[in-house]
Amino acid sequence: MDKLIDNLAAILGRENVLSKPDELLVYECDGLTHHKHRPRAVVFPSSTDETAAVMRELARAKAPFTPRGAGTGLSGGALALNSGVVIEMARMRRILKIDAENRLAVVQPGVVNLHVSRAAAANGLYYVPDPSSQPSCTIGGNIAESAGGIHCLKYGTTTDHVLGCRVVLAGGDVVDLGGAGSEVPGYDLLGVFVGSEGTFGIATEATLRLSRIPPAVRTLLAEFGEVNDASHAVSAIIAAGVMPAALEMMDREIIRAVEQSVFAAGLPPDAGAALLIELDGIEAGIDSEAEKVRSICLEYGARSCRNARDECERKQLWAARKGAFGAIGRITPDSMIQDAVVPRSRLPEVLGAAYEIAARYQLRIANVFHAGDGNLHPLICYDSRSADQVAKVKEAGRELMEVCVGAGGTITGEHGVGLDKRELLPLVFSDDDMNAMLSVRAAFDPLGICNPGKIVPMLRGCGEGRAIAETFAPRVTAAPHHVVQEPSRSSVPESGLVSPGSLEELSDVVRSASRVQPAGGMTWLPENSDLIVSTSRLTRIIEHEPADLVAIAQAGVTLKDFNAKLAEKGQWLPLDPPDDGRATLGGIVATGLGGAQQFGYGRPRGSVIGMKVVLADGSVIKTGGRVVKNVAGYDLSKLFTGSYGTLGVIVELNFKLRPKPECESTVIVDGPVVELTTKARAIVAAGLFPVAAEIVSPAFASLLGIVAKQTIMLIRFAGNQVGVKFQIERTLALCEGGEVIADDAQLWQQLAAAPLRYASGWHAGVLPTELAAICKTIDVPDALWQAGAADGRIRMLDNKVENPVTDPGNAGFLMDRVKQQLDPTNKFGVYR
Amino acid sequence: MAPQIPDAATAWPPATSPGIGLSTQITSNTSFTAALAAQEQELLSCIHCGLCLEACPTYVATGNENDGPRGRLYLMRAVAEGRLENTSEAFSKHIDRCLGCRACEQACPAGVQYGQLLEASREELLHAQPKDDWTSKLLRLVLRHVWLSPVRLRFFFGATRLFRDLGLSRLVLKSGLGRLISPRAEFGMALLESSRPIFKERTHADQSGGSGEGVLLFKGCVGEGLFARVNRATTRVLQANGYEVAAPEKQVCCGALHAHAGDLDGARQLARKNLTAFAGSKAPIITNAGGCGAMLTTYGHLLANDERCAESARQFSARVRDVSQQLATGEMRSGESPVDNEEYVACDLSCHLLYGQKAGDASLKMLRSIRGLNFGELYNAEKCCGAAGIYNMLEPELSRRILNEKLEAIDAAEADIVVTGNAGCQMQIGAGAALGEMGIQVCHPIELVDESYARAGFYDHGKQDA
Repeated sequence: MDKLIDNLAAILGRENVLSKPDELLVYECDGLTHHKHRPRAVVFPSSTDETAAVMRELARAKAPFTPRGAGTGLSGGALALNSGVVIEMARMRRILKIDAENRLAVVQPGVVNLHVSRAAAANGLYYVPDPSSQPSCTIGGNIAESAGGIHCLKYGTTTDHVLGCRVVLAGGDVVDLGGAGSEVPGYDLLGVFVGSEGTFGIATEATLRLSRIPPAVRTLLAEFGEVNDASHAVSAIIAAGVMPAALEMMDREIIRAVEQSVFAAGLPPDAGAALLIELDGIEAGIDSEAEKVRSICLEYGARSCRNARDECERKQLWAARKGAFGAIGRITPDSMIQDAVVPRSRLPEVLGAAYEIAARYQLRIANVFHAGDGNLHPLICYDSRSADQVAKVKEAGRELMEVCVGAGGTITGEHGVGLDKRELLPLVFSDDDMNAMLSVRAAFDPLGICNPGKIVPMLRGCGEGRAIAETFAPRVTAAPHHVVQEPSRSSVPESGLVSPGSLEELSDVVRSASRVQPAGGMTWLPENSDLIVSTSRLTRIIEHEPADLVAIAQAGVTLKDFNAKLAEKGQWLPLDPPDDGRATLGGIVATGLGGAQQFGYGRPRGSVIGMKVVLADGSVIKTGGRVVKNVAGYDLSKLFTGSYGTLGVIVELNFKLRPKPECESTVIVDGPVVELTTKARAIVAAGLFPVAAEIVSPAFASLLGIVAKQTIMLIRFAGNQVGVKFQIERTLALCEGGEVIADDAQLWQQLAAAPLRYASGWHAGVLPTELAAICKTIDVPDALWQAGAADGRIRMLDNKVENPVTDPGNAGFLMDRVKQQLDPTNKFGVYR
Repeated sequence: MAPQIPDAATAWPPATSPGIGLSTQITSNTSFTAALAAQEQELLSCIHCGLCLEACPTYVATGNENDGPRGRLYLMRAVAEGRLENTSEAFSKHIDRCLGCRACEQACPAGVQYGQLLEASREELLHAQPKDDWTSKLLRLVLRHVWLSPVRLRFFFGATRLFRDLGLSRLVLKSGLGRLISPRAEFGMALLESSRPIFKERTHADQSGGSGEGVLLFKGCVGEGLFARVNRATTRVLQANGYEVAAPEKQVCCGALHAHAGDLDGARQLARKNLTAFAGSKAPIITNAGGCGAMLTTYGHLLANDERCAESARQFSARVRDVSQQLATGEMRSGESPVDNEEYVACDLSCHLLYGQKAGDASLKMLRSIRGLNFGELYNAEKCCGAAGIYNMLEPELSRRILNEKLEAIDAAEADIVVTGNAGCQMQIGAGAALGEMGIQVCHPIELVDESYARAGFYDHGKQDA
């Protein structure tokens, strides 16, 4: 008998371990049936402790394992290769907490995506990421894949909505990554864990961000004669400064399939393409946005464009869209779904190429996809019983991928790499890029038993588990003193300041130096810096494509210059970190700090979609890409964001942008802290969408030129004229008064610049409901502090009071392992 | 690679029905994969997306992919393609554990006809893995030798009724004797107990039939055996709404129990008898049990390969509708609520009514006709209660887990009365509630309507007319 299975059964009980070959058959594939690997066993833990015990046992036996949720993934990610053990999380399906006040939910990983929104609905909240499989797919699986959905365009993907995870690592260690507060010290391990496809560990509990259900929604259905017209319209809508909540396209074939299925929604069968466009927000001003979209569609050749008649039709249309992938079964025995992302502006040519490739291989192709993100889902129809067609579909699929990558795209936007696209990863990443990914993987899973064989291609054809163990074992065990430094041969001095003029130069400097301190605008520097490597000569804005809402720039560009350039096309990078005009993009990302408006626009981690980094060995790696949605490889950008330059030198950055709001306005109210936080909550609960609700101390207020006897709150709104006007009025009513500042740009600039005038200080993040109590403790006379009433961020400028929030967490050892993997000689100094 | 399909595939459909002798053992079976292989096209339409998983009560209960529709379809396809022996224990175990509620069909974007595939699998299993335990033997005996014979069936239900009405089932329950025998026996007694009426029937007399449209009532075996009052209520309500109601003499059981047990041959025998009984008319065939209604609507499929009656079976199926659907075709009369406004009535939708007959909306509409009725849908109204024919007797453990979820929802809704449009569900929920001492009453929605009509005095007028 299999000893391992006996041991697992001893931990979980016999009934929670499947080991008979016939019962394991159904676990040989996930949502993508053409990869089949039957596992050795399937185990069903029901708690974090049980999961940890199982993983300890598996580590002891050096047995590889794969976590699995509902098995709806489309990349072969949930398969256990080489007779591994499947750890099935489906039984951990309890929602542990819905915290409406702080807008978060704590759930087990087996909870179904849709059930979270259903449970939160009573409080007027929902969980935003909504992949098409949301009636079945689990939160654990969503986290593993950083699942997207139809509302990513405006709201981002899973990674933007997960606040924290309790994770069991291979070997059974339990760590808490991230947290409910908005600022967690140390490296953003949570950011890199989300989307790691089960190769870093297993989340056994997750804290999710809930969002307010938008009070107003408009769904438009636009019919086009030709796909080409529809894709031009997509770019035009974005370039015109509209930010739809969703922008989806369905072509003729898919409309035909859907209309034959239970999801038939009365879509026009003779249309070449249909666009579904959803706008959401507040009622005021939404119709003018809808009208703008409608006129753009008609201008680009739509036969018609109309509002969904009622809520019932709206639901039907979305059900049709979400059921489309399954409905393909009505018109073909098998289909291969692809998941490429291309820059939105390149959609017309890429779609054209897709139809051309399909025609050349004599295969039918159906397209249903997230047009707003440029995330294509071509479904190539075939019959798996024909060997000829199977070969053709594979060839066509690869050719299509090459076209997408050639257009500046990536190989997967939301389905993940898994097993299916493993061999395609080198299309987008170099050996150095992939090596960096594997180093981080080795930090999380030194034994190489955590879902081996996924994401990164096998190296030199070794056996799965061994390939990983062999590649990393030396690095894992290498203590810093074993790495001998080459004596420096370059002319670079070992102390002082250098400003390389190119990536190559910078790489050379880093390679030959033994201690490096990266620097941008010199607004922040540690005291004992050795060799300061400045990015002050890397000031090129490389690209800005308005239709893509994407821009690429070198790290030394200042935020001020960058936004001035973007403003020419009506767009901006919506960040307001501590900045007096000197802050560079590289510095902003390296510190990872947000500002008062992070409540509305997020922190740098949410805006960075890719970067180039010089690592300790001088190699230049690329992370992410230049498309807004990308899950190819690990999201290493998250790791470098907020790492304060201790893992590498950021030299180039790709950002996703926002249309510049038509109008911005601020209301100032004063009162005691408790009263202000209550008001902030009331404003959010009333269905208004402030981009900031910042409380500042009286001393801070005087820095802004405001004379105040008590704390004040600055509430800012942004959007179209009608919407902002409405929200200001509502706010004045809710707060029973307040001062309106219509021309408020300078005020917010001063607010952002203030922290840089003080050398010492601290920042922390707590739950919004805890904020009032903490603010009370720091509210001493003349203290300079600010706090985000809606997001729980606190910044003390002058250190008059010690930071009361000090929780180092339990993931310190893991951060050390990451540091050791990427910078074993400690070239970039220590952080934490 | 093309799948290896045994010759049997080409031998399907058989020229004559294979003549399944339920009491005879079939020993040589490994090559008999006809039932599933014949369904290959239908199996292929499953694209493995998994949208069905959460709709499936057994998957939700166990989290085991084998217990979900996608997993079961995968097992079926493996058998059809010869990758899995039809003698596999995993195959029979997980097909047996399927409730057959067909909620997955509603969730399926590819429109897989799961119910038909399930029946084909059960037929396949009946041959490949004839069961020898006494429950299965008894079941086969009863289905073959009691249910197929109207005389014996009438005697069987007569005896059962007598047992119930003499209070013997109550005695067995109260004395603890049932539990002493086995939990299953106790539950069986509770099922029988909960077939009792909750209203005192005010009139047994049929009302003067309206001179309007004629309809034919399908009475059902359990329906007429234990719930004759529901048939009478159905008749009265239809008549009060102007229909002329008749119930053909020669009608028999719908065959659902046989079909679910894989005895498609037995089901076909019964179906042919019903075709004859309801022949010679184009009038709608009215059911009041979702289980029967759903079965009758599949006669077209069941007899599709029977040259002689394929066409008439299709026509028959097209005529079938639930009483609520029939009433929804016109303006329905409104009666007075027979229950106190303080009391809350929770509506549960029988799966087969909902997924088989698609009569969920009509069912609710019918209740809305009762003035002043304080009612609402259970939050998991669309989920199976675990009765599923005789599933509660065959898979008691899983059935109870599924029932418990339903009972929790009833508890959370603080319901006083639960209505459900299928006899099996009514007994299941009633039995669970009684054993859990929940103090609720369960009835058929038409009984509420009937009682509301009685209160409104619609029948007094009828009496005078008569």
